[in-house]
Amino acid sequence: MATLDRLGDTVDTAHGIAERSRELWHGRVLATANDASRLCLLACGRDDLSGICQWLTRDLDFSFATLIVEELAQGEWSLVYVFYKGAASPSVHVTLHLGVGASSVPSLVGLVHGPSFDWHEREAEDLFGLRFEGHPRLGEFVLHEDWPEGINPMRRNFNGKERFGPRTREPEWDPQTVVAAVGAFTMPIGPVFSDFAESAHFLLETVGEDVIRTIPRFFYKYRGVEKIAEGQMADRALLLAERFSGIAAFAHGLAFCQAVETICGVSVPPRARALRTALAELERLRSHAAVITGICNSTALVVAASQAALIEESLIRLSCDITGHRYLFGAVALGGVSFDLGDEDCSRLTNRTAEVAERLRDLFHMLRYSSSFLDRLEEVGIVAESYARSYGLVGPIARASGVARDVRKLFPYAAYDSVEFSVSLEHEGDGYARLRVLFEEAAQSAAIIRRVLSLPPAGPVGVGHVPLRAGAALAAVEAPMGAAFHWLRLDGDGSVVRYHVTPPSFANWHGFHIAAENFAFQDFPIILASFGLSNAECDR
Amino acid sequence: MRTTELLCAFFLLCATGGILAFLAPQRRLPLVLAVVGSLAAAVLLVVSGILLVSAAEFHAALWPLLNLGTLKVGVDHLSAFFLFVTALVYLPVSIFSGAYLEKYLNHYSLRHLSALYHALFASIVLVLMANDVISFLVAWEFMSIASYLLVNYEFERPESSRAGYVMLAMSEGGTIAVAIAFILIAVAAGSLDFATMQSSTLGLSGPLRTAIFLLSFFGFAVKAGLVPLNSWLPLAHPVAPTNVSALLSAVIVNLGIYGIVRVNLDLAPTTGAAHGLFVLVVGSISALIGILYATIQTEMKRLLAHSTIENMGIVTAGIGAAMVFVAMGHQVVGAIALIAALYHLANHSVYKALLFLGTGAVEGGTGTRDLDLLGGINRHMPWTSGFFLVGVLSIAALPPFNGFVSEWLTLQTVLRSAELASTPIKIAFAICGALLALTAGLAVTCFVKVFAMGFLGLPRSTGAEKATEAGLGVRAPLAILAALCILLGLLPTYVIPVIDRAAAPLTHARATGALVPPFFVSNTPQQDQLPPAFLSEFHDLGAMVGRGFVPGRGLVVLHRGEERNPVIFAMSTSYMTAGFVFILGAIFVVFRALTRYRRLTRGPTWDGGLRKLTPAVTYTATGFSNPVRVIFDAVLRPAASEESTEAIAGHFRVAIKREYTEVHIIDRFILQPPINALRTLAMLARRMQVGHVNAYAAYVLIAILVVLIVGVSAF
Amino acid sequence: MANWVFKGLRTGIKSSAYPAEHDEACGVSPGRPIGTSLKSPAAVEELVTRCPTQAIEHANGGIAIEYGRCVHCFRCKRGLDDAATWQQGFEWAAFEGESPPEKLARIFGRSLHVRFVDAGACGACMSEARQINNPYYNMHRLGIFTTPTPRNADVLLVAGPISDAMRLPLRKTYDAMPTPKRVVAIGTCAASGGIFSPSFAAAGGVADIIPVDVIVPGCPPPPLAILHGLLLVVEKKPASTLTSLPPRTEHA
Repeated sequence: MATLDRLGDTVDTAHGIAERSRELWHGRVLATANDASRLCLLACGRDDLSGICQWLTRDLDFSFATLIVEELAQGEWSLVYVFYKGAASPSVHVTLHLGVGASSVPSLVGLVHGPSFDWHEREAEDLFGLRFEGHPRLGEFVLHEDWPEGINPMRRNFNGKERFGPRTREPEWDPQTVVAAVGAFTMPIGPVFSDFAESAHFLLETVGEDVIRTIPRFFYKYRGVEKIAEGQMADRALLLAERFSGIAAFAHGLAFCQAVETICGVSVPPRARALRTALAELERLRSHAAVITGICNSTALVVAASQAALIEESLIRLSCDITGHRYLFGAVALGGVSFDLGDEDCSRLTNRTAEVAERLRDLFHMLRYSSSFLDRLEEVGIVAESYARSYGLVGPIARASGVARDVRKLFPYAAYDSVEFSVSLEHEGDGYARLRVLFEEAAQSAAIIRRVLSLPPAGPVGVGHVPLRAGAALAAVEAPMGAAFHWLRLDGDGSVVRYHVTPPSFANWHGFHIAAENFAFQDFPIILASFGLSNAECDR
Repeated sequence: MRTTELLCAFFLLCATGGILAFLAPQRRLPLVLAVVGSLAAAVLLVVSGILLVSAAEFHAALWPLLNLGTLKVGVDHLSAFFLFVTALVYLPVSIFSGAYLEKYLNHYSLRHLSALYHALFASIVLVLMANDVISFLVAWEFMSIASYLLVNYEFERPESSRAGYVMLAMSEGGTIAVAIAFILIAVAAGSLDFATMQSSTLGLSGPLRTAIFLLSFFGFAVKAGLVPLNSWLPLAHPVAPTNVSALLSAVIVNLGIYGIVRVNLDLAPTTGAAHGLFVLVVGSISALIGILYATIQTEMKRLLAHSTIENMGIVTAGIGAAMVFVAMGHQVVGAIALIAALYHLANHSVYKALLFLGTGAVEGGTGTRDLDLLGGINRHMPWTSGFFLVGVLSIAALPPFNGFVSEWLTLQTVLRSAELASTPIKIAFAICGALLALTAGLAVTCFVKVFAMGFLGLPRSTGAEKATEAGLGVRAPLAILAALCILLGLLPTYVIPVIDRAAAPLTHARATGALVPPFFVSNTPQQDQLPPAFLSEFHDLGAMVGRGFVPGRGLVVLHRGEERNPVIFAMSTSYMTAGFVFILGAIFVVFRALTRYRRLTRGPTWDGGLRKLTPAVTYTATGFSNPVRVIFDAVLRPAASEESTEAIAGHFRVAIKREYTEVHIIDRFILQPPINALRTLAMLARRMQVGHVNAYAAYVLIAILVVLIVGVSAF
Repeated sequence: MANWVFKGLRTGIKSSAYPAEHDEACGVSPGRPIGTSLKSPAAVEELVTRCPTQAIEHANGGIAIEYGRCVHCFRCKRGLDDAATWQQGFEWAAFEGESPPEKLARIFGRSLHVRFVDAGACGACMSEARQINNPYYNMHRLGIFTTPTPRNADVLLVAGPISDAMRLPLRKTYDAMPTPKRVVAIGTCAASGGIFSPSFAAAGGVADIIPVDVIVPGCPPPPLAILHGLLLVVEKKPASTLTSLPPRTEHA
């Protein structure tokens, strides 16, 4: 920690980082590097953890992706902090091994990118019972007030299949407020909303008109997906991966399959890769159309909302037409996709998405000249770039705040390495910037579909049988709302030992409060809609 | 004559009260004050009532003064009206005081308070009875000092002293201006006698008349709390004992209005429209600024004080309109405007007294007057809440309560400016009308907030949670005042002819026939005078059916116009109420019939599925009025500061402290600049005092040199 | 913004003709497997083994589908020589229990007010429930509306396997509704807990918490199936004719 030099840190290869870290920590850090797979593994002790993470984030400008906690046998713990950066940089895994009996970890929330560690640490605290020293706000997070103290569902000795006994005790719930002002009060929103909205709770602290502080309370929908998956065979767990977030089913299913394929050393045939790319973009197009519908709805621009809803529904129908399912469930399979598309299907998909792109362009053109609409979006719900970085935001929301972060470019998967597209980027970070990014990306999705399906490679769409074997792997995909990281450890028989998902909504919901604070009440639903986040995805 | 004896009895009662204050035992004093005070008020009510409705006036010469004429008292119809309103307020306030003053036992001596209470009553009556300059000024000064001492009663609190100081300073400034104005009139009239002045001041020259107008208006506006001389009101009301606050707002500010009316419409009537317009504009601006600041207050007494500024603004605007109309030769419309103003004055006295006493009851039951700390007390204090609601609806000018009648009349009268010839005056009237309309709208916001945040919802403090209903001694005066609010609202046709008696001598026209024509009453001489076009206007409404049995001049208030347009505006709170009652009754009956076989279930408030609702989630008064604060940001200019404490690195905010301070726009623009300039000058002067002998020697030398140079150059 | 008016008018009417006519537009429903008795034992065995949610059972020598567990994974359809018979259509809603509850058409027939509670649903059920408000399905034309408070609601639409944290809000919402009231569980998760239960964090469907009247199976049930469920409440449509068991006559 003491000898951080900030000069000459231009290391950008796996080997370079490994070399440098050995130098800086005088060999206390165990570093292995693989330039071919762009991976650098650093193993360190408790004392060096925050120093290394500070070095990576502050000096080397890495971003934090996810924290993988694994309870090893005999009460030992392994914590893997995953970092990523640019398309040319490797990803860095910092591993902390905790011996028997140790269950406290230094908290990293005080670092430059501290906020991005915040929720990961709180989640690990709730689910595993780890202690993060120096974290100011541990406590109720995933598990709400009626969950019994001291029981951590992700521990190995906890049986996830059993129903917990009835919790009859009426628990105390007294949300802490921090605003001290004359006439300050809190405005509760949710968990049961007045419309078709997902369950979540927001406590807005205010003195009227302006929201001073937003206290979100999530995990109303916590279904323990990661725990349920344990012990299931990989192909059964795929159902969970697809269905914990129905609106990004294909992306999450794909990420799961990629993790399995990496573990099992399966290489996916080119035609399957092309189809996966096309379907992932179809899902993105549909998801973006849904968010645009939500934004139009929140500003009460009824005709625009109807137009967007028509587009959305036509995309859902197209999905059903092409894949048999309106939300692409069951389309992705281990080793490929579960069906082939005929030439006619391909051209229909291409044409229809091009048509949709056209309709979206018309819609955007009209919205752009509707001043009553823009008034509600422009300079509302601003997330500054510095916040987007320190909170580790991902997806369209980060890209609207000037952070060009896109897994399709950073770690190209499926057929993204062979299609050309550019990352949409806006800098204002307001609701309108987010809307523009959505429209641009929707147009790009249609273009990508056209490119991959114009001359799709021939061949099989799957490897047939996937030989399952023991191992662990991390897979990343760009889900519609941003980077999703799926980490999986399989047993020798192909059953899941541990499954960890960091969905984009988890990262982005954390940053939501920045956007919602210091704006008026009536902007709240609009800011909420412009984030377009899913609680199902966040809560798992 | 009987009035003489009754007036003597009144003053004797006041004197008895004053003497008993020092003779009776401390703990009996509240009772003594209540009994003597309400007896005196009752006597005054009777005598002023008699004088108001009878044709006779009361005049008496007291003793002569050397070279300065004779001290005279008298009660004409205008005085009788003000005396009547004073008595109307003093009666319930005295009853209330009996229960209220108990809280001061063992803290402060009640002897001074009791004595001053009666002294104030007597001096107010004397101000209204004074018929010459000397007795007026002496009574005025007595009244000012007595009210100052009462406001400053809790003298141990620093804010009391400061408020009293500001109040006294402004009041004395006003008295000097009034004295000079009276002397100017007296010099012109050659007498200190009001009666002589009335008959001889018509020929006052322009600049002199304007000087008299400005000086007297300045002096009386201080007492009436008009902008920009309103600073003392919001300071004095919260610190004064509640019964005194009620008197300040419901009686003493009226004296300012009395002064304005007396000087400008009686002693030295204006001849041009300029003075009236000035009064109208000042009144309208006072109304808006008053209600604006009332809306953002959360301390009930301060809120009511700002609202007093608003109401006095409306009254003043009405008087200004009357002055313009009279000066422009529209005597009848002028009389209507004056009636509207005086009606509003009476209404304001009644409901403001009700609200102040209600606030006292709330404070007694909960221990706080802060709306942000109240809430939900309607369940614990049903009677107080009910009476307070009547006051709130009245002051918010909602029909059929009294505030509505007089505000409606005032606004409609301002609209009559269409009949004036001069376009600039029409424009001024239109702008003032808009300001008054905005004021009326904000008043609804303001008082919805008071009732909703203070009385409904969930309690936001333990005091509000454990509120206790006030005793009978507090509820009785509230009931009296609430009943008056309703009566004054429902029966304007009975009230207007009475006020007309007070207004008619000033405007030289009677407005009863134009405002409340007796068109239902057949076989009266007036019936024949009503034009057929006018009668036909009401014919289709079935007015002729009511002929013979509808009392009170048909219970309709209207503005009569020319032949072409016989009815300009018409309104009847009585019929409106009958309609309301009928509709509500019908709804109730239909509802009951429809739900005869249904079971009514009551559930808890829908909480969005939360585990529980806490008082922290209920809207506060500040929160409710914050949109107004934001909209009128340019006027209010709050100085806001936010301080946020973070646990780590600018991310985990663990405490956010926000503070708002508002300096009243008048203080900011009119009072602060000269004060600051004076301070700066003083600081500069202080620099000269360096403490070295050499420096002082140098000053002397420089001074001598200057004198020499000036002297030499002069020669 | 006259542009928007023209845009809206130019778009024309898009609403489905359902329930007056059957909607056969492409992509309105993913369809579902149906029970059949005409299968070779090997094929039946293959189907039963392949079903990851145990929705396919042996019955009368063929297969029966427990729709409360089917999640449309297509594993009984794709990559098989003797695949399960697939049926399009969307009228899937059925009464929970044997007989329909007391008649409510008279009370709710012309105006049905719906309160939606998300009790842990994945976004798909959410999205489909939202779609019944879009111009294609337009629930308002059928006299169905959403209400901002359960105090005005006649029907409670519930999606999701009832995560633990949503048990209390769901219960409170149900209690806050005036009687008579109906509960419509939409989606396989709401019907049986789906793939998420039984587990420590989710109940086994809505029926574990509050009484259920109508079940709309499907993962997710398409908007028309949800509409069918709501029309079932007001008795404008009959319940699903496809029971989980194959018809006996076919077997004979």
